[in-house]
Amino acid sequence: MRTWISNHRNLVCLGGSIIFFLIAVLTYLDSKPLNQTNNTLTVGVFTDSFWNIQNGNTYKILDASIAKLKEENPNIEVTYETGILKKDYSEWLFQKLIQEDGPDLFFILPDDFNKLVELNALEDLTSVIDLQEEGFTDSFYSSALSSGEYENNQYALPYECAPKLMFVNQTLLDKEGIPLPSENWTWDDFYKICNQVTKDTDNDGTIDQFGYVGYDYEDAFNSNNVELFSENGHACNLTEDRVIESLEFLEKLKNININVSDKDFDLGTVAFQPMSFSEFRAYQPYPLSLKKYENFDWGCLLMPRGPSGNNVSGLECLQIGINSKTKNFLPAWELMKILTSDPEIQKQIFDYSEGVSVLKSVTEKDETLGNLIESSNSPLTQEILSHSVENAVTAPRFSNYSLAKIQVDQAIDTIINSNENLESSLIQWNRTINQSLKNDYVDQID
Amino acid sequence: MLDYKKDSKLALLILKNLNFLILLYVTCVISYCLKGIIHESSGLSFINKITNLPLAYWKFPIIIISLYISELFLMSLNKLNMFQNIIRLCFEIIITFLIVYLIGFSYTGIILLVLAVSIDFIPKFKWRVPLLIGFCLIYLVSEYIILSLNSEIITFNVFIEYFQNDTRLILTGILNILSSLNLLIFLIYIILVVRSEYDEKEYILSLNEKLNNANEELQEANTQLEEYSKEIVKMTETRERNRLAREIHDTLGHTLTGIITGLEACTALIDVAPEATKIQLKSIIEVASQGMTDVRRSVSALRPDRLDKFDLKKAIIKMVSEMRDVTNADINLEINSELKNFSNEEEDVIFRIIQESITNSIRHGKADQINIVIDTQNNYLQINIKDNGIGCKKIEKGFGLHHMQERLNLLKGQLYFNGDNGFLVNAKVPIRMAEADT
Repeated sequence: MRTWISNHRNLVCLGGSIIFFLIAVLTYLDSKPLNQTNNTLTVGVFTDSFWNIQNGNTYKILDASIAKLKEENPNIEVTYETGILKKDYSEWLFQKLIQEDGPDLFFILPDDFNKLVELNALEDLTSVIDLQEEGFTDSFYSSALSSGEYENNQYALPYECAPKLMFVNQTLLDKEGIPLPSENWTWDDFYKICNQVTKDTDNDGTIDQFGYVGYDYEDAFNSNNVELFSENGHACNLTEDRVIESLEFLEKLKNININVSDKDFDLGTVAFQPMSFSEFRAYQPYPLSLKKYENFDWGCLLMPRGPSGNNVSGLECLQIGINSKTKNFLPAWELMKILTSDPEIQKQIFDYSEGVSVLKSVTEKDETLGNLIESSNSPLTQEILSHSVENAVTAPRFSNYSLAKIQVDQAIDTIINSNENLESSLIQWNRTINQSLKNDYVDQID
Repeated sequence: MLDYKKDSKLALLILKNLNFLILLYVTCVISYCLKGIIHESSGLSFINKITNLPLAYWKFPIIIISLYISELFLMSLNKLNMFQNIIRLCFEIIITFLIVYLIGFSYTGIILLVLAVSIDFIPKFKWRVPLLIGFCLIYLVSEYIILSLNSEIITFNVFIEYFQNDTRLILTGILNILSSLNLLIFLIYIILVVRSEYDEKEYILSLNEKLNNANEELQEANTQLEEYSKEIVKMTETRERNRLAREIHDTLGHTLTGIITGLEACTALIDVAPEATKIQLKSIIEVASQGMTDVRRSVSALRPDRLDKFDLKKAIIKMVSEMRDVTNADINLEINSELKNFSNEEEDVIFRIIQESITNSIRHGKADQINIVIDTQNNYLQINIKDNGIGCKKIEKGFGLHHMQERLNLLKGQLYFNGDNGFLVNAKVPIRMAEADT
């Protein structure tokens, strides 16, 4: 044996080399740590509601979807880890991904989407979607669908969404003799009403009735058609006219609104507060939900539109993506399709969650939603809601968006709270932000 | 010279082990950090520092060490030709790049190891200069590569941000020390290789010198030998001359002295006693005859007497006819040449060969038929003597044949004989112009 080895030294060396290289390659390719078989599908999901409202129905829609998947593919086992809170979900998901033990299919929180794409953790679904029957993408709200788009590729499909709506204290408006604004009301209408209701009702020298609370620059930008970043995220457009219009409007609003907090709306002394549709769903006392605002009637309106924009608002969207390292792509895709595009499953969003279905047909026709809206006495209708979702603005998607957003927040906050010239400080800030975007936020990362 | 080679091999071994140690260190630290990050739930902050997901923590050591062992096996391949060496080098570079990439360019010294191993065959490789430069450039710009690939890779420093500042310093310090050590050993290895190559050249040069010396000595010895041989020829000549002088003195001198003395006596006696003078003259004649016989005898020791009387051709014919008469053998003689222009020595040799061969055929071969053919071919005189005798299975070079051969060799001729079927003698004598002394 020993002589054979010394005679065939090169052969032995070559063999050893190949064997160890193969060991390395096989180790590299094996993305699951051993104990999982190929027909087990894992799903990443959090236990509480995406809308921060406990309803105890967390896994109902998922379970129904799994049951539906099993009807067609009885061999597939689907497992998911229960008990992960939404606030821990990102950490849990990223930890799993770092360990290469990520679930095959997982829910994506809006803040994590850009990072996940950047990390190549999401499977590119563009080609699979192209293979689906015609009308597949059209059945979704285009805004919701575009939340999962990154550089023209679809990495995730929307599961449920909610546009921002303007909550209005109907009791207060009635008291002041102001009619409910129409569905396409403007910034001017908004300002006039705010100006009108802001007063000291009990004559104690402090203002105790307010026009609005929580209306921020994003709401103004969205309804004035501001596109803050170029599509690739390489430039910021803080200096454009629509931004200036919006900021001037915000400054004007701010001047009539002093010392007001969210609590004041709950107390019934504020006329308007922008809130997510999910809040509307949660607190509308139909059929059995709790009633949050007991001392006044309230309803929902679309956001007021700016001089260059429409009555649109931002859209929050919970999405589902597939792990790029999955070995069960097809079953994962099947389950994802059921969760996102099966009308029966999507219908349950109105029963067990607080969002809006991402399917146009479901949102426009659903009876539960219809009854809900009807009972609220607000000018909102299913058509208007559907329209507002369809036209809603989604957050930009590029790799350093979250860091750029922080800078923009800081910039706007500084500008509005200072007395400096608006345009010149915008130019300054724009330069700073563009510089950071160009440098890829290297310094901030380090 | 051998010591340098041995030392360089040792340095290479140390280099390989050191690289193994460094890779083990780097992968273990990375694994430990990843495991810690997961354990302490700091995944989000880690994720924000990276732009690509790392491998699972348990994979790092397995993959890197497997790749490294695979590379070591490749490096142990030996006795490859140039083409195979280049292919091997390509694979080594690929594996090295994989390792360096997977550990996030944290450690690039392994490039030096590949260079160190390749240097063994590079001296025979005609693109060695560009290759070496390329290697060094890769090593030098590897830092730059990290920057350019910044968005893709996770460096060692990002991993160890998991630790506190002081621990981080120690960990980077260890890696830097190991890297520097690697560089140092690489340099020592290169110096050793260069030294051993230099020594090898020196050794070859010294061998060459020795060879040249030996050549010169040989030349000298040759010249000396030539001189010796000339001396010997001279000495032989002198000895022969002395012998001749003695011979002349002993025979002719003695006889002539006798004759002169006798003739002096005769001149005194001739008038007084003519009869006694006659007697005296008769005795003088006897002495002269005796002297003549003595001279003949001594000359015949040097030369066949027939040749004195006849030219070579006639002498041969006469000798053959005498032999025919004396023996009962049937001897055929055919001479197709003039047999002129031969020196005395050559004539002697030719005559003796024929005489000796006939004598041998009759005495030893018991032949009764002898054919002798003499002719010229290509500036050679060919003598063919063939008999029908019993021949000789095993040719013993008796005095005759040996003598023949010796004498022919002196004339640069050749002798061939064969005793298988009768006896055949074939002699070749080169023909040239006769010397002046004929």
